[in-house]
Amino acid sequence: ETWDMPTPYGDATFHTQNIRTFAEDVAAATDGALAITVHSANSLFPHAEIKNAVRSRQVPIGEFFLSRLSNDDLAYGLDSQPFVATSYDDAARLWEAQKPVVTELLAKEGLMPLFSVPWPAQGLYTNGEIKAVDDLAGLRFRAYNAALEEFAALAKAAPVQVEAADIPQAFSTGQVEAMITSPSTGANSKAWDFVTHYTAIDAWVPKNIVVVNQRVFDGLDPAVQEAVLTAAAAAETRGWEMSKAEAAEKTKVMEENGITIVQPSEELVAGLQAIGEAMLEKWNETASDEAKAILEAYNN
Amino acid sequence: MRRFLDVLYSAAGGVAALSILAICLLVSAQVGLNILARIGGPALSFTIPSYADFAGFALAAASFLAMAYTLRAGAHIRVNLLVSRLPERGQWIAEILSLALGAGIIGYATWFSVLLLAESWHYGDTSPGMIPVPLWIPQLSMVVGLGLLTVALVDTLIQSIRNRAPVVIDFGSE
Amino acid sequence: MAELSDPVIFGILLTLLIALLAAGVWVALSLMIMAFVAIVAFSNAPAGLVLATTLWGHSHSWPLAALPLFILMGEILLRSRLSEDMFSGLAPWLTRLPGRLLHVNVLGCAIFAAVSGSSAATAATIGRMSVPELKERGYPESLILGTLAGSATLGFLIPPSIILIVYGVATEQSIARLFIAGILPGAMLVALFGGYVMVRAWMAPDSIPKEDDTMSLREKIVASRRLLPVMLLIIGVIGTIYTGVASPTDAAAVGVVLATVLAIMTGSFGRKEFVEALMSATRTSCMIALILFGAGFLAIAMGFTGIPRNLAAWIGTFDLSPNALLAVLTVFFVLLGCFLDGISVVVLTTSIILPIVQAVGIDPLWFGIFLVLVVEMSQITPPVGFNLFVIQGLTGQDILRVARAALPFFLLLMLGLLLITVFPGIVTMLPNAMGN
Ligand code: NA
Ligand code: NA
Repeated sequence: ETWDMPTPYGDATFHTQNIRTFAEDVAAATDGALAITVHSANSLFPHAEIKNAVRSRQVPIGEFFLSRLSNDDLAYGLDSQPFVATSYDDAARLWEAQKPVVTELLAKEGLMPLFSVPWPAQGLYTNGEIKAVDDLAGLRFRAYNAALEEFAALAKAAPVQVEAADIPQAFSTGQVEAMITSPSTGANSKAWDFVTHYTAIDAWVPKNIVVVNQRVFDGLDPAVQEAVLTAAAAAETRGWEMSKAEAAEKTKVMEENGITIVQPSEELVAGLQAIGEAMLEKWNETASDEAKAILEAYNN
Repeated sequence: MRRFLDVLYSAAGGVAALSILAICLLVSAQVGLNILARIGGPALSFTIPSYADFAGFALAAASFLAMAYTLRAGAHIRVNLLVSRLPERGQWIAEILSLALGAGIIGYATWFSVLLLAESWHYGDTSPGMIPVPLWIPQLSMVVGLGLLTVALVDTLIQSIRNRAPVVIDFGSE
Repeated sequence: MAELSDPVIFGILLTLLIALLAAGVWVALSLMIMAFVAIVAFSNAPAGLVLATTLWGHSHSWPLAALPLFILMGEILLRSRLSEDMFSGLAPWLTRLPGRLLHVNVLGCAIFAAVSGSSAATAATIGRMSVPELKERGYPESLILGTLAGSATLGFLIPPSIILIVYGVATEQSIARLFIAGILPGAMLVALFGGYVMVRAWMAPDSIPKEDDTMSLREKIVASRRLLPVMLLIIGVIGTIYTGVASPTDAAAVGVVLATVLAIMTGSFGRKEFVEALMSATRTSCMIALILFGAGFLAIAMGFTGIPRNLAAWIGTFDLSPNALLAVLTVFFVLLGCFLDGISVVVLTTSIILPIVQAVGIDPLWFGIFLVLVVEMSQITPPVGFNLFVIQGLTGQDILRVARAALPFFLLLMLGLLLITVFPGIVTMLPNAMGN
């Protein structure tokens, strides 16, 4: 049997590399009984369609950015909520709390999560140093979802919507002056071409998730099922390690190329934490019971 | 019936045109706000939430709803260099074949777009932007547009068969 | 049917496509039918659901929203006095240059390419204005169509560029550097195209109509006043991008608004003309959208069947030298480009091709520009070439005839490919100068 697997990110991304290893592991463990063909960089379905394509069995398996689904339920988006989980340890604890809820929500759509791997923690890219939240005031700040727009408003920055592909141009023309993203994205898009400072504020640790269609999975031979689950567990462990290595390596690449890497001042951290708390208060007003349960489990 | 169908195609074409105008107005409004923010500083900085999403949905509506109207206007592209060298009877057979094949594939697409919409509805899918939009709403333009294109292809096929000669005239052809 | 080899399947599908097109089936629908056959016969994917997902998934993309707006801008300019004014203003300056006003196509496309990210939008906007004017003045049709089809491909090379964004995102190359890298090759192509027009004019001087050549310098400058509105339009659109108040997609809307205002101010443009322009733009963008949907479905079908991937991997098994590899890849991409659109060619093959290319020591940044040139060639090769479709839509001339007129420009693009291979500095000089 051959499975086509659409993924959104390019071959240079560690997520894609991890998934290719996962596919090799499955093929090796099943003696080729299950071969997974990885279609990277949206080459099969656009990112926005991948989850639904797995749901309707156009493809048996696929990867997507988990918090894309936060409009369906805020439970999906807790890993992208600023300053809730800001380290790999926090992120691991959050995933532990999130996993049963996400599994249950996805089960309603006939999907089963196989594994989830985080991006490196998100840092702040600016021209010039940011010593306190006040320094963000008035800056044109890239916002691509509701949470970031709210963040910008609380930091008294001006939110600007810029699509990912337009980032370099947006910086070079002054359309935006600050953004929050991972060191991976920063290094891969050669952020030194357009910004001078990277502040490691570790705002949040978002994740990608790999899901399989439950009915297709159930149709597999039990031994093959076992092989997939084993390979998935290995991919999750390996992916988290790859992510940590990536964070260190890509931060170093940025430093080597002349970006000043800044550890945030206490004042900045305190200010950002206050914004995070204000946002969480608002989050609580609209969150589902499931989403709140995750936060509760995570905080205790 | 003839008049009713023609009005229907044109009306859908008109809605498509309005959708393009809507994209233009939406985006211009945002550019205007950007200029205001540049002049007035961060205090006067506003964004139209999810404007890129809404522009995209309007684009979908413009593309799908204009399909039947564009077909009837002869503006969909085809290679007519070879067919036009056939005798009239050959041209007529080719036209019937083209229309039948076209109606088949677009009818098929229409049916599955209905299923896609039903699935979005069933699972309550929403867009991922700042303003969550239930996806079945913009997908409605796809179902209606493809449905109308199927009707227009069948309509033209019947016309062609009755006429016993080709009826499709391509835009701008000499 | 799994025992059929990929080249055989490829051949069967291509024959089917050519048969459908020859029978006069609409291009978009031919692509859909071919893709449908490919999925049903050569893969296990559910064709109907995949078709619906593709139609929806390709219909609402934000970067694509600029396309109808740029087309609308062209329609407005055509119906106002602005396009006529532009030609009257430029004519006195170009009378001594062999080829005269044909250079408006080349330069107009080059300038417009700095605003728009796609070749189709460039062809639609410039062609809308220039084709009727040049025809009326009696320029030879093959050169009008050829210069337009060829020069419009600059839309992808001169930044901003949708295809460079797609390549940059898929391969994690810096998009800023790719954009900068496209500038000199773009200028090189402008020189090649302009040079070719001059050679043709020099070889057959009688084919190029005379323009009034009695004006004094003062009169010429006075006549140039008429260029002012168009200059304002271009400055306005480019200005909003480079001052950062608008993204390249946003700029299309600015173009429509400015064109409307200027058209009304210069007179003879009212509500009737606006409605005509809008309806015409609606038809043209719908035509292009339907073909894009067909091409998108075909690309997914190819992804499921794995044909482009397998062919690319097959090329990798020969252990070619860098130059031999590039030569083979050029042939491969030109063949694929005959029936897939350029963006699909890039996304379907980069995952396999890029490692092969990097293994022989080719710079991925340089390869991005190489790929864009090949994709530009695919825009003007039949049966599936978007510039050809746009120009058929504008003129009613059959795409095969347009393709023939564009053939010399296809060869010039090939020459451009050779030049950047022999002198890679044309590509890498500017991005390297950006420094670290
Ligand atoms: Na361009
Ligand atoms: Na082509």
